[in-house]
Amino acid sequence: MTDLDPGTLVTIVTIIVAGVGIIIGTAIPAIVEGRAVNKALEGIARQPDAAQDLRTTLLIAMALLESTAIYALLVILILLFANPLVDRIF
Amino acid sequence: MDEITPHVVFTLFNIPVRDTVTTTWIMIALITLMSIVINRRQPVALEALVDFLYDMVSDVMGRPAEPFLPFLGSLAIFIAVANIIDIIPLLDSPTRDINTPLALAVIVFFSVHYFGIRSKGLLGYLKGLASPIFMLPLEIIGQLSRTLSLTLRLFGNIFSAVLIVAIIFSLVPLIAPLPLIGLSLFTGLLQAYIFTALAAVYIAAGLEDSEPQKEDTSSEE
Repeated sequence: MTDLDPGTLVTIVTIIVAGVGIIIGTAIPAIVEGRAVNKALEGIARQPDAAQDLRTTLLIAMALLESTAIYALLVILILLFANPLVDRIF
Repeated sequence: MDEITPHVVFTLFNIPVRDTVTTTWIMIALITLMSIVINRRQPVALEALVDFLYDMVSDVMGRPAEPFLPFLGSLAIFIAVANIIDIIPLLDSPTRDINTPLALAVIVFFSVHYFGIRSKGLLGYLKGLASPIFMLPLEIIGQLSRTLSLTLRLFGNIFSAVLIVAIIFSLVPLIAPLPLIGLSLFTGLLQAYIFTALAAVYIAAGLEDSEPQKEDTSSEE
């Protein structure tokens, strides 16, 4: 355990961070999107006439919420496939 | 990873040209050909498409969509075709390369200012940007970050769909990727809708709120 070289250490830490990060980065936007859908469905059930407006607004809001999950995904893809630290430490 | 990132097809005057560009050329030819053929055979289908785009843009913007329909409609058609051209063998989506979404988002960035200046006049538009003067830096940051988020949203969605299909394909090549390919087609069409709707929202935010927009549209025709 003590004689790991720095590259292996960076790789191990990167993999752990990627796993934890993708869990947090997708779970929280998913919870928030579920809340938004919940409210929108309640609104549609209460007023079916407003369904068209609600659907448009819901889709745009979902896209804005979804982008945070996409940011997390992109950061983790960079960490996994184009990690800048692996080259710098050696 | 190498199979799904864009690769250089040929170099022109020492500038490497990636397969993104050649696929976009094929797409342009395909869209032009399809619209000519459909227009000759079934003009009603094209009318239905234009009606659909018109209703969508008017719904999102809350005003008649005539002045913006050429821009936003062609944006929607381009992104939709670019996202689903993946299913043709030997072709890859141009939107999987980050440069294509970046170019589209920069076009949206400039068109917001173009439509805003055309609607309010140059001085009125600048005044609207800095209504209390301390809002100006926030407005600039907002404009830039929405361009960045448009880029990353389209790129991240398409690229992650392509990546998931590639990973499943490397594990189980036979039948298993098919549902995910269907999901990626759905995601692509949804992203085309969302990109267009967000561009419409951004353009509508830069316009005047009041009614005189209607004179503008009638003089336009």
